[in-house]
Parts: sequence; C-alpha cells; structure tokens
Amino acid sequence: MTIILYTLAVSAGLALLLGFLLGFFKKIFFVETDETVAKVRECLPGANCGGCGYPGCDGFAQAVAKGEAPATGCTAGGRETAEKVGKVLGVSANVVETVAVLACQGSKAHAVPKGFYSGVQTCRAAKLSTNSIKMCAWACQGLGDCVAVCQFDALHMGDDSLPHVDEEKCTGCGMCIKECPQNLLVHFNKIDKGAFARCNNRNPNKPQILKGCKVGCIKCGKCEKACQVDAIHLVNGIPVVDYAKCNSCGDCVAACPTNVLYLR
Amino acid sequence: MNEYLKIFLSSMLIDNVVLIQFLALCPFIGMTTDVQKANGMGIATSFVMVLSTVVTYPLYNFILLPLGLEFLQTLTFILVIASLVQLVEFYLKKSAPALYSSMGVYLALITTNCAILAVTLNCISKSYSFTESIVYSLGTAGGFLLSMILMAGIRDRIRLAKIPAFVKGTPVLFIAAGLLSMAFAGFAGLIK
Repeated sequence: MTIILYTLAVSAGLALLLGFLLGFFKKIFFVETDETVAKVRECLPGANCGGCGYPGCDGFAQAVAKGEAPATGCTAGGRETAEKVGKVLGVSANVVETVAVLACQGSKAHAVPKGFYSGVQTCRAAKLSTNSIKMCAWACQGLGDCVAVCQFDALHMGDDSLPHVDEEKCTGCGMCIKECPQNLLVHFNKIDKGAFARCNNRNPNKPQILKGCKVGCIKCGKCEKACQVDAIHLVNGIPVVDYAKCNSCGDCVAACPTNVLYLR
Repeated sequence: MNEYLKIFLSSMLIDNVVLIQFLALCPFIGMTTDVQKANGMGIATSFVMVLSTVVTYPLYNFILLPLGLEFLQTLTFILVIASLVQLVEFYLKKSAPALYSSMGVYLALITTNCAILAVTLNCISKSYSFTESIVYSLGTAGGFLLSMILMAGIRDRIRLAKIPAFVKGTPVLFIAAGLLSMAFAGFAGLIK
C-alpha cells in the first residue's frame, strides 16, 4: 500500500512542482512580441515559398511590421492577402496578379537534342556543363528545376518534357522564374489579354534556328507588319507585345510562319 | 586506457546512438536535408542530452532509489526532461535571442526525443557515477552530431546522383543509413 502512495505522491508532486515552475518562469521570462507581426502572419498563406525574398512567412511578417517590406510583398497570396495585410497596417494595397508563363516550345517533338545527356539531372547542371542539352542554346532543358521549387503544385512536367503551368493554382510567387537557368519563365499579368511569343532564341541566323527547333522565332518580322494597331515589335530578336494596344485580333498569330505566337 | 576516454569513445563510435542503437531516427532522416540544419539539430540535442543527464541522475539516486520507486524512472524522466527543455526555451528567448533563433526551432522537437531518454536510462542501467554519466552523455551527443553531419553530407551527394525510381526519396536514405551503420559496426573492436 505504501508503495502506491509513494508513487502517487512522487509523480503528482513532481508534476505539480514542474507545472508551477513552468508557469512561474513563463511570467519571469515573458517576452513582448509585436502584435502586428502575429496579425500579419495570420493573413499570409504559410507556404514559406520565399517568393517575397524573406526567409519564410515569419520573416516576411517581421519585415512588414518593421516597415521594411511593402504590404503587397507577398506575391503568392495575391490581391486577397495584400488587402488583408494592408488592413492590418492601415494602408491600401494595390496589386497586379501574375502567373508564370513558359516562353519556349522546345518539346521532344520540336527541339533537336545535342546528344544524350546523362549528367546530373538538373537544368542548372545541364546548362553549366553543356550550355544547353538541345541544339538551341536558349531552349528549355526540361529537367524540371522549376517543378521542384514550386510550392503550390502548379507546375508539372508534361509528356513533351516541358513544364506546364496550372494557371488556376499558380500564384505568381516567382520562385520558378528565379530558378530557371534559361530565364524562360516570365511573369504574365492576369488581366492582360493578347498575343504572346513562346520563344527566347536570340540567334539571328535563320537556318541555324530551324536546324535546332522547328517552332523557333526566325526574326522574319511578319508579325510586326501584320499588326494593325502597332502593338507588336521585335526587341532583341523576339516579338514583344504591348498589351495596352493589343486587341487580340490574331493577325500576327496567323502571319507567323513557325507558330511562335499564340493568343491568351 | 583511461576509463573516461573509454566510455566516451565507446558511446560515440562503438555504440553510436543512431547507427548502432537505432534511436533518434526521426531527426536523422527528417533534419538532415542540409548540413547547417543537421548541425543545429545536433548541437541542440547534445546540449539537452548533457543537461538532462545532469538533472535525472540526482533525481534517480536521491529520490526514486531511496523510496524504492525505480519503476517510475521512465515517467519522471520524460516529465523532467520535457519541462526542462521548455524552461531552457523560455530562458533563451528572453536572454539570448540570437542563440534562440538558431537553436530554438530544434529545442521544441527534442523535448521527447528517444535518444535523450535512452541516454538518461542507460546511465542508470549501466550504474555509472555522476562524472561517468556526463562523459557518457557527451560521447553519445558527439556520436549523434557526427552521424547527423555524415548523413547530411551523404544527402548532398544523393541529391545529384541518378537514383532508380523505386527507391527515390526516403528508401534510398535508409539504404545509405544501413551502409553507414555497417561501416560503424567496424568500430566494434576498437576497445578491448
């Protein structure tokens, strides 16, 4: 009987003692935390994607509370989050939502590989060691560095060995854009409508382009001439569209001999 | 050979807590994604290991043993270690925020880590003296830190290697851990 009583006394006594000690020390070592940090943190998506440039959502919340980062800094959360954060800080937030878009069509069927690449299976390594594993030096390497960094399950490697963006899920956080060694992924404003060039080849030599890729931009300038509203121009050899002017007529898409342009 | 050195080496290499005793596999797999993380986790665990040995040794010898309550050791040790870690966390948060930000995240994970409990229980079952217990916990902590950093290094290589799809991810880590464990089994004859 005594052993049971001892057991009870010791375990209960120890638990009580430690409980009181913890409560006591929590008071003594109380640290005042900035309330805005917690409030801002609550508004954030919590994916810790790092798209804002701070170490995770906690880091961003602290930076916002200190005034270092803007309320619109969370690209992943988009407008909704920015408005919530703005409400906490008492400022208005004005954001443009974007998605990532791939500016390359160098799929298995279109782009010719330089050889058989069996090195380290990341785009960055392939780019470093071979400059490009396809004949086109600007082509998508297709090894999925962008897919690996996506925190929102918005990027998937297709059967054509090109990454496909799920625009419903893409938050425009920009992690894949930073990761791509070829700079092929670009921000595209969700509100913009018009033609978009899916090529990044800067080579001015037409036969060389066509040798490497059947759907590369050959710098013919037909899109420029076809456009009736002066919205499309070749910049450094790639058609760039001014979405303020583009009216989605589709003339340039029809004029393009290699199917580089498409309407979105 | 010096008695303490013997205890230190055997706990660090021969009876390595992760690779031979197969304890604390969760941080071994979970926290070794990069060397820095593994280092932080290893150092935080080492700190808690030594601290909890210091606390549980007198608890056992001056309270549980005289009252004949040896069977309560697991319960009381867990209780004491968990609240101790919590206390250290409070203290660090207030007085050493820099240390807290580098170690604090790991402290919460360690509270009920099996390696910590194993060290304190082993000290009792091997009937070590107080100094021997400290040396033993230091050695185990060193072994833990060593295996964490080794694994983090291996993972750096695995990331770049071509791995067959059916063992991709955690399975290949366990294969690597098994090979590492076999390598550590070679230390068995180190001390006679």
